[in-house]
Amino acid sequence: MTKKSFPLLATGGEIKDLEQPGYYAGYSTMGQKKNWEKATRAVVTDRLEKTSQIRFFSPAEAALLEAVIDRVLPQDDRTGERTIPILPILDERLYKNSLNGFRYEDMPPDQDAYRFAIKAIEEMALARFQQPLVALTVHRQELILKSLHDGKPDPQHPVWQTMPVHRFWAMFMEDCVTAYYSHPWAWDEIGFGGPAYPRGYMRLENGLPEPWEKNEQRYEWNAPVDSVSQLIEEDASLEQESLHGHGGSH
Amino acid sequence: MAHRLGPMQTLPSPMRKFADQDAIDYCIVGVGSAGGVLVQRLARAGFRVVGLEAGPFWDTEKDWVSDEKGSHELYWNDLRITGGTHPLALGANNSGRGVGGGSVHWAAFAPRFHPSDFRVYTEDGVGTDWPLSYWDLKPYYELLEREIPVAGPAWFPWGDPHGHPYGPHPLGGVGDVLVRGCTKLGIRSVAGGPVAILSASHGDRPHCIYRGFCLQGCKVGAKASTLITHVPDAIIHGAEIRAHSMASRISLRDDGRVDGVVYFDREGKERFQRARAVIVSGYAIETPRLLLNSACPGHRHGLANSSGTLGKYLMAQAGNVVAGRFEELIRLYKAPPAHALSEEFYETDPRRGFARGFAVQTVGPLPVAFAKHMGAAMGAWGWGMRRVMMDYNHWATLGVLGEILPWEDNRVELADEKDQHGLPVAKVTFNLHDNDKKLIEFGKNKVMEIMWAAGAKQVVQESRFAHLVGAVRMGSDPSTSVVDKFGRTHDIPNLFVCDGSILPTQGSANPGLTIQALAARTADYLIKQGDAVFFSNRRDLTEPEIRYDLSPPYTRFKGNPRIA
Repeated sequence: MTKKSFPLLATGGEIKDLEQPGYYAGYSTMGQKKNWEKATRAVVTDRLEKTSQIRFFSPAEAALLEAVIDRVLPQDDRTGERTIPILPILDERLYKNSLNGFRYEDMPPDQDAYRFAIKAIEEMALARFQQPLVALTVHRQELILKSLHDGKPDPQHPVWQTMPVHRFWAMFMEDCVTAYYSHPWAWDEIGFGGPAYPRGYMRLENGLPEPWEKNEQRYEWNAPVDSVSQLIEEDASLEQESLHGHGGSH
Repeated sequence: MAHRLGPMQTLPSPMRKFADQDAIDYCIVGVGSAGGVLVQRLARAGFRVVGLEAGPFWDTEKDWVSDEKGSHELYWNDLRITGGTHPLALGANNSGRGVGGGSVHWAAFAPRFHPSDFRVYTEDGVGTDWPLSYWDLKPYYELLEREIPVAGPAWFPWGDPHGHPYGPHPLGGVGDVLVRGCTKLGIRSVAGGPVAILSASHGDRPHCIYRGFCLQGCKVGAKASTLITHVPDAIIHGAEIRAHSMASRISLRDDGRVDGVVYFDREGKERFQRARAVIVSGYAIETPRLLLNSACPGHRHGLANSSGTLGKYLMAQAGNVVAGRFEELIRLYKAPPAHALSEEFYETDPRRGFARGFAVQTVGPLPVAFAKHMGAAMGAWGWGMRRVMMDYNHWATLGVLGEILPWEDNRVELADEKDQHGLPVAKVTFNLHDNDKKLIEFGKNKVMEIMWAAGAKQVVQESRFAHLVGAVRMGSDPSTSVVDKFGRTHDIPNLFVCDGSILPTQGSANPGLTIQALAARTADYLIKQGDAVFFSNRRDLTEPEIRYDLSPPYTRFKGNPRIA
């Protein structure tokens, strides 16, 4: 983690340094690994135990991107040891030039797209706030990223004249959520059952938990007061074009 | 350790090996939904057959995992360029790589096309008619429903009503939402199929365990893929499946007949497999790409492209995903993603102001896919993404599956970029036209209405596409199509295409079952033609008799239930 946001307030106290955010206290997918078959157990355990070195990005690029990722998928509520690695997964994909099967005709190759975007974001930070991005408050970092999310870079930057900002954003989000939500700690957070072979599921209806799953225990929590990355109802009412890869849907 | 195909099957061994210089009878390029059925039928009939497959020969126990990210290699991930007004996301979800092809990661919905799908131009004045009718294909639908086999309702009320040889699956949370919403609105729906997933054990394959990882490759062996349904039988009957073999060019002789396939082997070495006939089964992008990359004197614009239509009339189905958030828990990751649907809006209704229609189906994105969906549908990022994902278990997802018509400007061409073998990659262009846009708007709104009716507190959607067919269209007229009704190219008598690319239109049904039924019919045709395919230029267009004696084991004594 780079720097943290203001405290996250909730009824009952501050939400920070949690072993396990989410509404499924005590639920552990890894606690079930003895019931998974060998190949799956190896893949998921490796993800938990091995973090690859940064090989594609330069140290400066990596530092900036880490700060950006900390805003795009903030983990301020998690303890340090329970932070899910995202940058190393992205770096490994680009280092290996592992593609998702296509490139939009108006986009540069994935590797170039990230290098261009990092340069643009740093120069946007300098132009708007006269400081490098990593030195900005998280609120100011978010303001720059929100402008990319909205497809209206503020300030404008020549990179976004040649590379469609919404396509870059979709690819970046795809890379980040792929790393985060493929991690078993994220499965614990959202109450996903995780691998279930050879055992399978038997309680299919009415959202019932399997014997080893937990029931939901909801609580109220708030994003940091200065955050601009919360859900906005209007964003869901727009014409939503799909720009990401479609693995695992239909 | 034995090479496993599901928990109970092992790869038949030894597999016959042909030498490159052996003049085999059929070289089939691509061992997927169609290629798997073709190699099996042709091997059983005694032909010498080699299936070239660009990807690996999966060992389902070692290579497949119950994990989204870990299943990346099931897809065709090589570079393709995508453009147009509505560029298609390619690779993941719409093209497979490895023995079994796309049938390894399909959701396995297995509805038939409707009779009207074969005569779209006659009935609605749009698209084109097929050179065959539903009734020509019906016996093959019934046979494949027993072979792979299909579980579903005893009474499927749409199109040509039919039942299914295996009983329907129990409902999961998402199917429950679909049935509840449709019932509220007086819309008929079916539950528990039709889906090519076993609801009871079948020969050496166990039944479904409802773990939800259908799209990551079914380790259970319950979901049909040609890797486990047809390829083992092909090998037992003397076919060779040559994995890690990327076809680069089909070789044409001076007399205008093909004589084999140039391919790159596992080590990247260029090799040439001689063959007396070639069948290309590489699906809607790689098939036209291979034919375009095989251009040679006399076929300057691609092999078998005298019509100029090679690569054109590519189709994808509208695949809008509608998500609804419920007060109660759904847990959408349980049960197969594909398990309930309605085809109530499938046929043209003049009151709607557009031709053709759509189906409504369950979908079941696992966390990574669902997070991407929320990024698109809700613009979720940052704390918003974290928050909406904490509600993952409260969401249900339904899909539109809508018919987009075949348009000439939706096409596969060659790009300037090259792949790792130096072969030009495909460039795909996709544009929506007026009828398509109206259909998508109506279908999206209808599915959102169903979601609200089911009791959702919030409903969002993402516009996207599913499946790929067309680009090597089949037809009676050699000036407007590439292959005839049996998949034989109009231009070259011993070159065939058999896969989703030959579909002239696509209906609102998932194409997998139709592709396999067409492959079985083409195989029967080739078997009936015998050696004439290898020597004669005569084109026999009489329908073959269906062969019930060439099915894989365990097909006999399975039946489609009586419905009237």
